[in-house]
Amino acid sequence: MPAAADRAAAGGQPPPRGARRWQPLLVVALLAASAVCALSLGTPYVPPHRLVAAATAGDTTLAGIVVTELRVPRVLLAFVAGACLGAAGLVLQEALRNPLAVPEMLGVSSGAALGVAAPLVLTLSLPAAVQPLPAIGGAALGGGLTLLVAGLGRSPSAVLLTGAAVAAGLQAALLVLMVMADQLDLQLIYRYLLGSLSARTWDDVTGLWPWLVLAAPALVLCAPVLAVMRLGDEDAEALGVRARHARLAALAVAVVLIAPVTAVCGPVAWVGFLAPHLSRWFDPGAGAVRWLPWSAAWGAVVVMAADVPARLALAPVETPAGAWTALLGVPAGVALMRSGGRRRAALRAPAAAGEPPPGPRGTASGAAGDVPRAGAEKHARGAGPERGGPGGTPSRAVRTTGTEGPR
Amino acid sequence: MTRRFTALAALAAVCACVELVAGRGMSPGVVWDVLNGGGDATERHILFRLRLPRLLVALCAGACLAVAGLVLQSALRNPLAGPEVTGVTPGAVLGAVTATALGLAGWESPLAVVLAACAGGCAGAALLWLLAGRGRGDPAQTAVHGVLVSAVLGGLTAMVLLVEPGELGSVVQWLVGTTEGRVWEHWHLLWPWVLLWGTAAWLLAGPLTLLRCGDDIALAAGLSARRARTLALLCAVALTAGAVAAVGALGFVGLLVPHLAVAVFGADLRRSLPGAALAGAVVVCGADAAAQSSSRLLAAVLDSDRLTLPVGALTAGLGAALLLVVVRRAPDRTF
Repeated sequence: MPAAADRAAAGGQPPPRGARRWQPLLVVALLAASAVCALSLGTPYVPPHRLVAAATAGDTTLAGIVVTELRVPRVLLAFVAGACLGAAGLVLQEALRNPLAVPEMLGVSSGAALGVAAPLVLTLSLPAAVQPLPAIGGAALGGGLTLLVAGLGRSPSAVLLTGAAVAAGLQAALLVLMVMADQLDLQLIYRYLLGSLSARTWDDVTGLWPWLVLAAPALVLCAPVLAVMRLGDEDAEALGVRARHARLAALAVAVVLIAPVTAVCGPVAWVGFLAPHLSRWFDPGAGAVRWLPWSAAWGAVVVMAADVPARLALAPVETPAGAWTALLGVPAGVALMRSGGRRRAALRAPAAAGEPPPGPRGTASGAAGDVPRAGAEKHARGAGPERGGPGGTPSRAVRTTGTEGPR
Repeated sequence: MTRRFTALAALAAVCACVELVAGRGMSPGVVWDVLNGGGDATERHILFRLRLPRLLVALCAGACLAVAGLVLQSALRNPLAGPEVTGVTPGAVLGAVTATALGLAGWESPLAVVLAACAGGCAGAALLWLLAGRGRGDPAQTAVHGVLVSAVLGGLTAMVLLVEPGELGSVVQWLVGTTEGRVWEHWHLLWPWVLLWGTAAWLLAGPLTLLRCGDDIALAAGLSARRARTLALLCAVALTAGAVAAVGALGFVGLLVPHLAVAVFGADLRRSLPGAALAGAVVVCGADAAAQSSSRLLAAVLDSDRLTLPVGALTAGLGAALLLVVVRRAPDRTF
């Protein structure tokens, strides 16, 4: 989403403080570096200063064909996909108030994978025009199922748990298909499951635009609501936001953002986890409105940077970009989550007067308690009535540590 | 309590019988013939060389996973800590896949697979230990980091599989979890391992019950909480590695069956640990029987011989359904 990045670069000029000053510079530099690397490295090697000549030469030279028909769409696709995933990740994390709410947990990725695998394994012959539809349909099915079931659960982690359950169910269906598949289909499915940008063409890129046109206004509309949702359901209701409706709407926006990307590149894992944490780390004092464009920009940076080693590290074998984002993104995200919580706590102490009061679970690390608490509650309820003598004590002990530990 | 054990044991026996007669190739009447000493060579081979070891491996692996899950949940005092979310199962899968890809292990040398899986499981748990850092005493943080460790290990497994794409077909069953094609070699490898670590878990049942009450109470009762927890974790990793090497990553068994066992047998691990073992065996064996019968049914209905339902898919589906029921039953509860 170039528009988002541009808007952010133009509008976001806050008084410089610490890392925030370097954020635009760093994003642009990283984007440029990875774009140049992606365009010039590989076979044939096109030196950066000849890139323009090669691109304008078009299909008269080999280098021109490779650059315009293979590398440029790939870079663009990486940019768009990363921006979508980063924005969707931030929307999810803010709407569910949980720093671990990632697209993978909504059932969207599993649904799309199922949509790709089913025609392949069952050897259904589809006309070329409707080829991408099963993946988008599967993604929408997974996300829609989660939304439908989660409509009954009101709390953020109920939605998250529902998403996990739906994803697991779809995964089971996928496993059946994987066992049925032969060796070649299996490799195709597995490669897709990890998220890969190899052999994507202009058709894939142009197929994404209608969805982006749909999603961008929705994102702009929902960003201010997200900032309010962060205060907690009760405070948000007091401010006039219907929390349940807003949460469902945010989930729908996330599904619209994730589904087409997943359909084209597969689930590029953990970008939606890393990008929001990066944007928060650089600008801990801001709200969701400012984080959103930066999260999209960081998502683009992550996917573009991951795609370079994915293409070249083990050449001539292509490794999936999703494996790299998972390998590098998760440790980085964890480190950011930790230091971000500490920094924000330190920042808030002197600046408390000037900033809006954060909700009870305002910090990222604080909201981490949601998931395990769910289990503790469930555990206590499921086990409670049947327990004998020593039974009551442990469950209560578990629950209290689960709720109060991280705060 | 005795009655509950008896009921569960009876259920296990029923599941075992169903597992023996389920499956393609032989009707129940033929099975009865073979058990009475009749049948031709092929039928005897199917029953004694294929179905019996498969049944035993399923029982044993289910018990392993459930016990490992209960030990983990008690030692970490974390109801979400199954072997799947503490990095143990993904680590074991990674170990097994890496050893196979490097040519160190294969179907001819199953012991190497078990050892590699065990090493991988230990590495996964160690990675969690490192990543959790100072927050490792806190159950919530441990669970959160476990999910992330699983993601990293999954990425590594993917890398290995893409470098050695030829191995993908043979190792996909580790990723899925299936009891198909398990023979006596697997069983001979599995049972001493399970016996050893199962006994260790049984000996740790008392200390683990204390650990469930919290470190303070455990320390006040004179238990060295650190040492007991380390031993328990080792035990859980070894049990999981054994099960993974035998049947692959069966989803949700290690996470959900312990809750079932605690609900039925109470929180005293001296009783609920054997209970969990029995329940795990029943669940995996029953799921395998159901998977076999339903894939037979599906094959007849859809008229395609390719269709087989792996038991891992069934347990994952069951787990997902259970999770949904739990979430929906309490819509207003702030989880």
